[in-house]
Amino acid sequence: MALNIVVGIKYVPNTTNVNIDPKTGTLVREGVPSVVNPHDLVAVEFALELKDRYGGKVTALSMAPPQARAGLEHVLGMGVDEAILVSDRKFAGADTLATSYVLAKAIEKIGDYDLVVMGHETIDSSTAHIGAQVASWLNLPYIYYVTGLEYRDGYFYVTRELEDRVERYKLSKPSLIAIKMHSRIPRHVRLEYKLRAVLDSPIKVWSNDDLGLDPNCIGLRGSPTVVSKVEFTPKVPRKNIVFEGDIRESVQKLIKALLEEGVL
Amino acid sequence: MQHKFDVIVIGAGPAGSSAAYNLAKAGFNVLVIERGRKPGAKSMFGGRVYKAPVEKAFDDLDKAPIHRWVVKERISMVYDEEALTIEYDGRGRHSFTTYLTDLSSWMADKAVSAGAKLVTEVVVDKLLIEDGWVKGIVSGDEKLYADVVVDAEGINRLVLERSGLVEKLRPEHVALGFKEVLKLSKEDVNKFFGLDDDEGLAWVFMGEYTDGLPGGGFLYTNKDSVSLGLVIYLGHAVKELERHVYDLIERVRLSRIFNKYFRDARVMEYSAHMIPADIKALRPKRLVYNGLVIAGDAGGFLLNLGYTYRGVDFAAYTGYLAAKAISEASGDYSLESLSKYERYIDESFVGQDLKRFSGVHDLYENRRLFKEYPMLAINMMRRLFNLEYESTRFKDAFNESRKGVVGLTTLLKDLWGVYRKL
Repeated sequence: MALNIVVGIKYVPNTTNVNIDPKTGTLVREGVPSVVNPHDLVAVEFALELKDRYGGKVTALSMAPPQARAGLEHVLGMGVDEAILVSDRKFAGADTLATSYVLAKAIEKIGDYDLVVMGHETIDSSTAHIGAQVASWLNLPYIYYVTGLEYRDGYFYVTRELEDRVERYKLSKPSLIAIKMHSRIPRHVRLEYKLRAVLDSPIKVWSNDDLGLDPNCIGLRGSPTVVSKVEFTPKVPRKNIVFEGDIRESVQKLIKALLEEGVL
Repeated sequence: MQHKFDVIVIGAGPAGSSAAYNLAKAGFNVLVIERGRKPGAKSMFGGRVYKAPVEKAFDDLDKAPIHRWVVKERISMVYDEEALTIEYDGRGRHSFTTYLTDLSSWMADKAVSAGAKLVTEVVVDKLLIEDGWVKGIVSGDEKLYADVVVDAEGINRLVLERSGLVEKLRPEHVALGFKEVLKLSKEDVNKFFGLDDDEGLAWVFMGEYTDGLPGGGFLYTNKDSVSLGLVIYLGHAVKELERHVYDLIERVRLSRIFNKYFRDARVMEYSAHMIPADIKALRPKRLVYNGLVIAGDAGGFLLNLGYTYRGVDFAAYTGYLAAKAISEASGDYSLESLSKYERYIDESFVGQDLKRFSGVHDLYENRRLFKEYPMLAINMMRRLFNLEYESTRFKDAFNESRKGVVGLTTLLKDLWGVYRKL
């Protein structure tokens, strides 16, 4: 009954001041404090609950520069058994297509897995592409907005919550699911697990030498996406107009002002 | 847990990392447990560190993230948006400014490079005490054993409180420090304060910014930013302060004296932290127990003279002494054996300073220092310098400013008090 679970981790800049490299259009990550993508923490919690229930092993997988080790140490502290950091300068500048390709190949290399669990998007780019694309590369069933999973008779019975309905699916093994944000509260780290992360360094690092992927399919070269321009929402100065006096008149004045501004 | 360490250090601040570094160098198997995401994440200070004690605790201080060496000291009395300032423009290379988060990371890295292990994001709840001995620590439902524990948890010493070794912290025992870090260009810092690239300014001021409450303000120049903050004594503040502390510091930034520097500055950071104030009350009954040594702010080791604040260097030095006492105990971590640490503290400059200046805290009970005297000083300067036709005699300026504000005997008594205690 034991499950071998792979969970995807992205270490993302924890800031609202995201800087974009004007030349490449990619995110500038240097010097920005990072955290594990909050959606992925929910996915880790989901995976660890499955491990608590059915036994097995949880492996965290991340494609990132070396500083993502800190993020992997965090999820190891939560109880993830081992972590793989896929890291190579050759992977830099990847869009979601090249990223999902590398992740899919890394999951293939892990080989012996029953379930891949991911957050359904990341807070820095919010494409929600990776789950679907990795599932396509690996030809796996894929369900997102997942809130629950039962493992019976070699099948996953998955619950998916949408705004107006709950859907249930029966998935074969292996499958890929993306977890709905806020469906779980990620557990805190434990001293014992953190100690293991520090003392036994269970983070494996795989470069492209380990994966042997075609350079034309990875990194900036394997990325057909072109960010032509990034525009930020303009800051609208507040006008600080206060309508005082009779409530009816004030409301009329407010409506008139809003009409003049073109917002009504 | 099957793991066991020679030493567990609680807290990766300057005291904890200093103890860990020196113990790891001496061959001990050390674990540092830090509750923040990284070392320094929970630390805060005004902005200046004295070099010599830190250099004793850590090698290669020249490789530390030092911003500027303080060469200029200013002390101001402020009243009605005017200031009377004394400035000392020296050559000194005795203290430097920095960001404490960076310095703490550097110190923790030193400890880790020396062989100490560091675990972050883990909260120590209390000491593991069995048969009158500290045997390790408790975190949630987990226990971890060690031969000896160094408590360097800082001023908010919940571990010591929960373990019944110190009384609950009271507002009268601490001050609150809060500051803004304001982003300027390096050139502007140099230009505004008359400094060369690696030269720094330390500026302390007292008077109206604390609403007449005991306390004072500070400004330190970093490489390309300025730390501007206030310290107020919580015992008074909880009873009398009627506004938010962030309003107080904002008022300093917007005041006539400071606004000219910060008109185009961006607030990069706002932070606040407790500071040991009543050192006598804060000192634990013992600094050691069977299997335990207390270092840094947790032991109340901080000196505040109004013109000099010393916390980081005291912390690093007490961590160093803790490591020394533990190394020399050759495995006997009983209270008697570790009490050597108390002797080292009392004989060191830390103990001597705290003893010599033990009366300073009483000065803060004298409200005239924060209200009447700044007012008197400014009024006197106005009479002396804001001339129209007639010039003013010094003694007239003095006497007229003093009249109705403070009696001559009181003034002489206060002067004597300040002279004696400082």
